[in-house]
Formats: sequence, structure tokens, C-alpha cells
Amino acid sequence: MKLPRRLPDPGFPLRAPTAPVGVEVPAAPAHKGHDYDTSWARRGPARWTRAALVEGPMRAVVRGLSAPTRAGADRLAELRGPVIFAANHHSHLDTPLLLTSIPARWRHRVVVAAAADYFFATRAASVASALAINAFPIDRGRVSRESADRAAELLADRWSLLIFPEGGRSPDGWGQGHRGGAAYLSIRTGVPVVPVHLDGTSRIFARGDRVPKPGTTRVTFGAPLQPAEGEDARRLAARIEEAVAVLADEATSDWWAARRRAHRGTTPSLTGPDTASWRRAWALEDRRGRRRRPPAWPPL
Amino acid sequence: MKALQVQRSMARFAAARVAGALVPGRGAAVGPLSLVDIDPPARPGPDWQRVRPRLAGICGSDLATVDAVSSRWFEPLVSFPFVPGHEIVGELDDGTRVVVEPVLACAARGIHPPCPACQVGETQSCEHLTHGHLRPGLQTGYCADTGGGWSIALNAHESQLHRVPDELTDEQAVMVEPAACALHAANAVSTFDGDVVVVLGAGTIGLAVLAALGKLGLARGSTIIATAKHPEQRRLATELGADQVVKPGEVLRAVRRATGSMVVGDRLASGAAVVLDCVGSAESLAQALAITRPQGEIVLVGMAGETTVDLTPLWQREIRLTGAYAYGTERLDRDGTPVDERRTFDLAFELVAEAGLGRLVGATYALDRYRDALAHAADAGRRGTVKVAFDLRAERERDRL
Amino acid sequence: MSPRPGFVLEVDRSTPPLLLMHGEGFHLQRMPIGTRVVYPGEPLATLRDPDTAIRHALLNPVNADPLPAQLFAGMKLTIAFDDVSLPLPAMRSPDARQRVIEAVLDLAAEAGVDDVEIIAALALHRRMTESELRHAVGDRVYDAFAPRGLLYNHDAEDPEAMALLGETDQGEEVEISRRAAESDLLVYVNINLVTMDGGHKSVATGLASYRSLRHHHNVATMQRSRSFMDQHRSELHSANWRMGRLIRDAGVKVFQIETTLNNDTFPAPFDFLQKREWEWRARDRALFVASSKGLDRLPNRARRKLFHSIEAPHDLTGVIAGEVESVHALTTAKVLEQQAVTVEGQSDVLTMGLPYISPYNVNSIMNPILVACLGLGYLFNMYRGKPLVREGGVLIMGHPTPWEFHPVHHPSYIDFFEQVLADTTDPLEIEKRWEQQYAEDEWYRHLYRTSHAYHGVHPFYMWYWCAHALQHLGGVIVVGGDPAAVRRLGFKPASTFDDAFEMATDVVGPHPSITHLHAPPLLMAEVQ
Repeated sequence: MKLPRRLPDPGFPLRAPTAPVGVEVPAAPAHKGHDYDTSWARRGPARWTRAALVEGPMRAVVRGLSAPTRAGADRLAELRGPVIFAANHHSHLDTPLLLTSIPARWRHRVVVAAAADYFFATRAASVASALAINAFPIDRGRVSRESADRAAELLADRWSLLIFPEGGRSPDGWGQGHRGGAAYLSIRTGVPVVPVHLDGTSRIFARGDRVPKPGTTRVTFGAPLQPAEGEDARRLAARIEEAVAVLADEATSDWWAARRRAHRGTTPSLTGPDTASWRRAWALEDRRGRRRRPPAWPPL
Repeated sequence: MKALQVQRSMARFAAARVAGALVPGRGAAVGPLSLVDIDPPARPGPDWQRVRPRLAGICGSDLATVDAVSSRWFEPLVSFPFVPGHEIVGELDDGTRVVVEPVLACAARGIHPPCPACQVGETQSCEHLTHGHLRPGLQTGYCADTGGGWSIALNAHESQLHRVPDELTDEQAVMVEPAACALHAANAVSTFDGDVVVVLGAGTIGLAVLAALGKLGLARGSTIIATAKHPEQRRLATELGADQVVKPGEVLRAVRRATGSMVVGDRLASGAAVVLDCVGSAESLAQALAITRPQGEIVLVGMAGETTVDLTPLWQREIRLTGAYAYGTERLDRDGTPVDERRTFDLAFELVAEAGLGRLVGATYALDRYRDALAHAADAGRRGTVKVAFDLRAERERDRL
Repeated sequence: MSPRPGFVLEVDRSTPPLLLMHGEGFHLQRMPIGTRVVYPGEPLATLRDPDTAIRHALLNPVNADPLPAQLFAGMKLTIAFDDVSLPLPAMRSPDARQRVIEAVLDLAAEAGVDDVEIIAALALHRRMTESELRHAVGDRVYDAFAPRGLLYNHDAEDPEAMALLGETDQGEEVEISRRAAESDLLVYVNINLVTMDGGHKSVATGLASYRSLRHHHNVATMQRSRSFMDQHRSELHSANWRMGRLIRDAGVKVFQIETTLNNDTFPAPFDFLQKREWEWRARDRALFVASSKGLDRLPNRARRKLFHSIEAPHDLTGVIAGEVESVHALTTAKVLEQQAVTVEGQSDVLTMGLPYISPYNVNSIMNPILVACLGLGYLFNMYRGKPLVREGGVLIMGHPTPWEFHPVHHPSYIDFFEQVLADTTDPLEIEKRWEQQYAEDEWYRHLYRTSHAYHGVHPFYMWYWCAHALQHLGGVIVVGGDPAAVRRLGFKPASTFDDAFEMATDVVGPHPSITHLHAPPLLMAEVQ
């Protein structure tokens, strides 16, 4: 049988049209960056693919790498409708860990606020981010009206939002100060904020690590926070930050001790001491040391 | 003369073993036992008399013989072919009714002077069971020279004969031999100082042991717990003096309740002071060890045979395990009373009459129906019977001899 | 649509067969024409925001100072809560006790209270396992308190841990947990499933010892409680109230928090078990056929596991805090609002299908004694006024009643069944001859204190619970039970309900009037 030397050109409409000369073709929609349109990723086939991805390989990898303990989901028992999950951020593992930990009611209706300059840097990255973790781009360089509008729209459309208010992964294992985005959105839309604390991901795959070291993690959900009457975003953001700090305290000590410290105002800070970097690292070891394993018997 | 005879045939022993394992008592059909016509046994000597059995009981050890599961221990102690049957009430040629005390000790074997055991009346411990002018045989019913109860006639030495009082029926008299075993077993217990005495098994021996404990007044002040599988056994055990009758699987809890003991694993930390095992299986012995308190005593009354039992508790808890075989002379000198020596059989006659043990004879069969008889005996408890016996009173051949 | 109340249905020719629970299973049974069937009401609406409601109750208690006003730094605070016998079936997480205890602790933390202990008030019940405690109080509270020995099961046999407070005017000794008695404040967190629960019974029974309990857990009290579910006619109630007042007068400050649940008993898709049969949709019918057939094929163990893993969707309908007696009056009204059904007059025969669970076999085996207790103790007594069945009438109940016991949870039950019931079923004689021996048996004491066993005397209480019914009834028939076990209980076994109705005519005469108690869900018959 004689093979054709080249594939026949199927012609329009099976291939893209050519434009007549002299006609101005409007710019195609952006395929990357903060203008990238992710709506396709929240419809039909993409949703099912992502659900399969999250429940299958992602869950397996998360379990294998980080053996998560999940606590506090019972605090969300009465909660219905969209919510904003606000978590501390240490590692790229945080998003998959959270996506597999969020209670089933919201798990497959969560969009992740992701840095446009990082997750949507190229076209391929944009597609992957939108498909795999249902990311939508936000501009972390400046306060963007557009990003906020888009997020509010999604919330109105009953999508829940996952935000890392620290604005990026921790550079040294300590937390960073919260930005106001989550609080602003909550006040604007009336959607409650669920503070979440992730413990242990920085030991597994910290910023700058090349190879993950398997370990254990703990995800603690806190009681939902509603914006109070007349509360401004800065005040609410502080409450969220405080709630995450109390959850962190709860994760490393116990609930009762954490409650007592919270009421006494002595909850340990998540951002660490404002001192030289070595002292910050030194103090961090204190927090980590608690989980160190006892030495094994030497081989005889 | 019609007789049931056990012959030495390896093939038939093997067949009986298989059949008996499948259905107890079934060894009768294929095993070493068969109904034969033989000459009446010759009289071994001048002091011997001919006894024509009236009733002859079927004992657990007989069933073991029929199913060929007896221990090989007995091999040098018996002589083939023999006619089984050692629970015998019969009549002499002059019509006197007698019960045969079956142990073939020095006196019957014409050995003089008798061995030390026989000298003090402990005939069950005779050293000469294989010597003398008789062929080996520990009892009438296991010896080729004397004949046995499951036939029209046998020979018995004068020392073996006990005259039956007129007021005793044949049914009661046939229970004298098992009653003697029971009395001997009850009297074999060295001390009854505990709260709880357990009798495992409510067959003929178990029930007779309960009656014997009552007669000898041994377990006075203790709670007697008996195990019984079947309702009829339960009723009789209560009548014969058990304070509590429980199913075999419940005995551990019953003893625990009665003693207030703690439990360690699947056994009691304390337990019964005395356990009389009238079953003699590996299970019953293991059970006995589980419920006996440290320094307690187990008397093995049932014939045990070859069994596998963990004896660690015997060692670790210093439990005394005693056997009780047959009968001889009983010394009733407990509580500092003056020494009172009685022949076990004499006591047994009293016990049978007092406790009315004749009611335990639940079914009788002619020799010809020996297969049915043995099947019934092997399944007696479930069928609501305790003792099954051959009734030879109606055999026409008796009168021709 | 607001929930429909309970009602009485008269069976006619177009009434479908009725659903009867039968241990770890269920079946449909056609009832004779004219049978009156008492249906429970539908589940009441639940609190929309329970945590806010709880906080509100703590801040606005009945006849008491707000909880924050009673908390101060340096105080000794004890929180006691109802054990695993409540509610039935276990409720979905978060449990009502968890919510309340967390709210109380939060206030305590705010007030700077350091010395806090939490006690499972289980009286002579079995100790709760770690997973049961975690379910009741939640992981947060468990992890914070249990590892430090500050959350523990009540131990009524620890002489050091009990304190004798005195005797009532009737000579009843009152002995409760020393820690509770010596605290500056005792907070009791209850779940009020039936009208008998709660009130002074919470502390006077839940934290008491055998020495104290024997004064009201006995045959005389039970025979004079008609029924023990009716506070105004319950000697059990009066005794507990006497003791509760003595506890109060002895200076023990109790802050009672009572919660009530609706009767939403079975989770979807098995909610058809609580629907009225004529309202079953195609899906319900298909599920019934599939599940009853499937259950028949499962071995006992698997069935038991399946049923005991059910967590009921029932939820809070109310939470009331404050002074014990005032709180309990409001709670009882709330429970009755859910459970009360008015019934006209008594009948000759009462029938019921017994479910797989009673208060004493959570995660365990429903042994024959518990079957008797559930039927004759609990369900028979779910009345106010007069029993549903006339004096000398017959009770027919369906349950497989296996001769089976949980060896860890119910060791003394086995002995009770083998020794005591083999001898007599007369509660008075049983009490006289054996109670003391079982109550003081060292082995049972050991198992109660260190394992997960009910106290040695507990099977006696089960039998005393039946005392009123045993005295009242002319006969008890168990349908579908193990005949040997049923006879041991002193009841008559029957293989079908039709046989049982025939047998009942021997006692109550031909053409008896029949009432069927369609429970679960639980209901309280107000018999006029």
C-alpha cells in the first residue's frame, strides 16, 4: 500500500482560518498571566478530571509524603454555602494537602487563589494550574481591583476560595504577616472565613528544597469567622491571623492549653521573634524539636 | 455356650478403631468382639464355683475394648480370647445370688503367701495379676481362663463371691461393682478442706461418686458442683446430692462463682480444692487442671487412656493428681475417728441400697442384640439412660447347663 | 411543613404490613385487623446554630448565676458527662457533649481556671473505651485532658475516690465521686433521651457507688415506679430527688446543662425505617428488599458490626442550663414535646419489635437479659398514666434473643444467666439470695475497674427493671428467639407472630384487643 507523503490539508473549518489582508484581527485572549481566563477549568470535563486527579494520584502522593492527621472538621458541621479557607503557607505541598483535606462538602468546589506571576507565568503552567488545582490568577504585586472582582464573582457563584493570606511561601520556616485580601473579600461578600493551620509541610518540602523528605503533617480547621458589624478589613485580617496562630498552638500543644493561652493573650506568635536571622532559626528549632524521633538502636 | 468373645485380630482391632472413631460403639459390628458358641470354661481349681450371670453391665472400659481404643498398657494384663463383662450379678449352682468382685488377685491365682498389697486387703494393687495358675488378666472379664459376664456361665473364685441379700433386686446388685469403684474413688481423696468439690461427668461413675460422697459424708460443708450434659443426668445428679449441676462448658464459671476466685487467662487463679474426674478424657483432665486451686487434688476416676495434657499446672501449682482404680479395703479414719476398715464391696452393698442406685439401670438387652446394646451404651446419656446391661435371665441355654 | 405529631392507627384491610425491628434485622409483619398501632411523631426541628444556643444557655441559665460569674481563677472545676449509654444510637459527630464541654471549657479558660477534671459519669456501667470517649467529648478535649489523667471514667469501686455525704431522711446513704463533691463547681453535661434521664439522677446516680445505688436500684423501688418514666409516679425519681437535695445541702454546687435531641434515628438511605409504611416510595421499597435480603445472608458478627456503626442523624432540639430542678422541668417538657402520643385506654395484648440496641449493649452483644430489659424494662415503661397493656395481659416481642454474651462487657451476665435465672426468675428472690454475692465479687470488681465490664450487680438491675412488668403482665411471648434462652428468661418462645397471638388467647381469652408499639423511634404513650 502506498502511503501518502504528507497529510492532506483538511482546510477550513477543520483548520484555523487565514485572515484577509488589511483586516485588523482582534487580540486573542491572554493565555497566561493575570488575565488568563480559567472558566473552562470550572466546567464539565475539566471538573471531573480534576476530581479524579485529586481523589486519585494527588491523595496518594499526599498520603505517602506527609501522612496527614486532620482535625477540627467537626467545627464546620453547621456551615453551608461558600467559604474562604485561609491557611498559613510554607510549601508547595500545602495546596494538595489542603485540597485533599477540605471536607467533602466543599472539596470539589474550591478555587485556589494563585500568584499570577508564578502559576500563570507560561501558557503550559497556566493550563496545568487551572486544571490540576483549579487555580485562578491574582496579582500579588499590587492591589488589583480586577482580581478582587473576579474572586467575589466566584464566591457569588457558590465557589469556595482557598487563600494563603501570607502572600507566598515562608522563606525561613516562620510565618509572614497576613495581607488583607481574605478579610476584604469576606467583608465585601459576607462569606465566612475558615482559618486553617498546616503543620509540618515545611519539614517535608520547604521553599528551596529540591527533593521532598517524607514526614508527618497535621491539618487543623478552626471555627468559622464571620465579619462583625462594621468591622474593617484590617481588624478582620488580624483576627484571622490570630485564629491561625491559636490553631498552631493547638496543633503543637493541646486544645485546652491553647485556649488558656489565647485568653491570656500569650499565644506564641507565628511570625517568630523580630531579631537576627540566626536567632529566628534558633527559636524555630525549639518548635520543631518537639517531634524529633528517639534515636534508633545502633546496628550491632 | 453362647458368649461374646474378644479375639486377638489386628485387622479387626484396626477396623474397630476406625468405626469406633466415626460412631462410638460401632466397633461392635466390625471389631474384635463377636457372638460365638464356645465350651463353658473349665474350673481352674477346687475353690472355684460356676456362676450363671443374671445381669451383666456394660462399662465404659468395655466400650473402649469394643472400639479398640483401650490403652496398650493393658496388653500384658489380659489374655485372649476373653469374654468381657465384670459387672456381674449371677447365681451359683445352688441358686444363691452373688455379685462377683472381679479383681483376680493372689487369692484367686493360688499364690501363697500373697503379695504385700493383698495381705492388707488392697487387692486392686496386687502384684501378681499375670502370675499363678491363671493366665494373665487383671479382672474377670479380661482373662481367658475364667470367662466373663457377657456369657451364659463363668467361673469365680470363692474370694470373689459376695452373697446378695434377698431384698436387693438384680438391678441394684449389678450396680454394686460400679458403686464400689465410686466409693474407692471418693475415699482416695486425701483431704476435703476446701469450699468446693467438683465431680466432672455424670455417667454411671460420676453419679455413683456423688452418692458415695454423700454416704461417706466426705464433702460435708463443701459445695458439690457436678457437670452433666443431658437433662436426665442433671436430674439424677441433683437427686444424688450435687448442690449445683452445670453443663460442662459452664463449670469454670460455676467454680469461680462458688469460690469467688479471680481468673487468669482461661483458668482460675484459685479454684476447687478437689476435683473428681469421672470422664478421663484429655478435655476433662485439662478442665480439671484449670479449675483446681494450687495444692488442690485431682482424682482420676474415669479411665484416661493415652491422652495429651499440659502438665505444667500440675507442677506450677503443686496439684496432686491421683488415680483411683477398682476397690479393695477402705480405711475410714478421717477426723481422728478410730480406724475403721471395711471391704469396699461391703460398703457398696449398703450404698446401692441406701441411694437406690438400681434406678440407674435404664435398659437391658439379650446377648443376641449385643450390637444394639453397645450402641445404646455408647450413646446412653443422650438417650436418657445411665447404665445399660445384658439380661441373661431369659436365656434358655442357662437351664441346660 | 412542620413535623407531624405521633398518632394511633387502626389497622384495616388496606393497611400495609408493618415494619418490625428484629434485632440486627427487620421484617414486615401483617397485623390483625383492628390492631391499634402507636406511631411516634416526626422529628422536631433542630437548633439552627447549636454553638450559639449553647453559649446563650450558659450565659443565661435558669435560676442560677451565669456560668462566667461562677468561674474564677484558682478554683476547682469538675465536668461530668453522660456515658456511652446515651444517646441511642450514637449521634453523629460532633456529639452534643463535645459542643457543651468545649463551650464550658472556653469560658473556664477565659476565667483563668487551671484545675479542671472531666469525668464520664457511668456509675456501674462499663468503662468507655478511648474511641468512645473521643466520640463523646471530641478529639480536642480528649487530647488535651486524657493523656494527663484529667479525663477519666468514674470508678465507683475506688474507696479513695468516693465520698460519703450523708443519709437522706429515709436512711439512704449518698456516696458520690470525691472529686465532684469537693469541687468548687460541678458542671454536669447530660443528654436527655427519655424522661427518666437527667435531673438529680445525673449526679446522684451517675457519680454514685453501689452503696448508694442499692437504695433505689432494687425491686421494691421498681415495683412502686409506675412507670419510672413518669416523674410524678416514679419512686426511682423520688429517691434520686431526695439524694440530689442532700447533695445540694451538703454544699456541692451543681451547674446542670441538659440537652434534648429530636428522634431522627436512622440516617439516609435507611431513613425508611422511621417512615410510615404507606409513605414508602419506590426507592424505599427497593432498599427494604435489598437490605433485608442482604442482612439475612450476612453472618451475625458482620450484621452486628454494620448496625452498631450506625450513627444517628438526631440533633439538638434544646439546651438548658442552670439549677438542676428548674432545668429538668423544662427539659422534660421538651422531651415530651417530641415523644408524647395520646392513646385511648389499654388493650389485652401489646406487641413490639425490639431493635438491635439497648442502653447497655452499645458496640456489644444484646444478650437475653438485655432483651428482657429492653422489652419489659424500657419499652413497657414508656407510658404515663396506665400501661398500654391491661393487668394480666400479654406482651409479645420479636427478637432473635441469641444465647450469646459479650465476654468482656457482660461477664457477670453470663453467670447470672447460668446460675440465677436457671434457678428462679422471681426478682425478689433473686435480690434476696444472690445480689450481695455478685455485688461484692472481687473478680467482677476487678473487671469493672480495669477492663470494660459492667459491674457484677448490673444484671440484677436489668432484672429489677423488669419487675414492674413481670408483676403486671399475665405472660410474655418472644417471637423468633432461641427457645432455650427464652425459656430460661421465664418467657414463652413462638416462631411467628400468628402463633404468638394464638398462644396469647390462652391467657387473655379469644379475640383480644391488640396494641402495637411502633418503635423505634422512641415514643411515650399517654394512656388515658
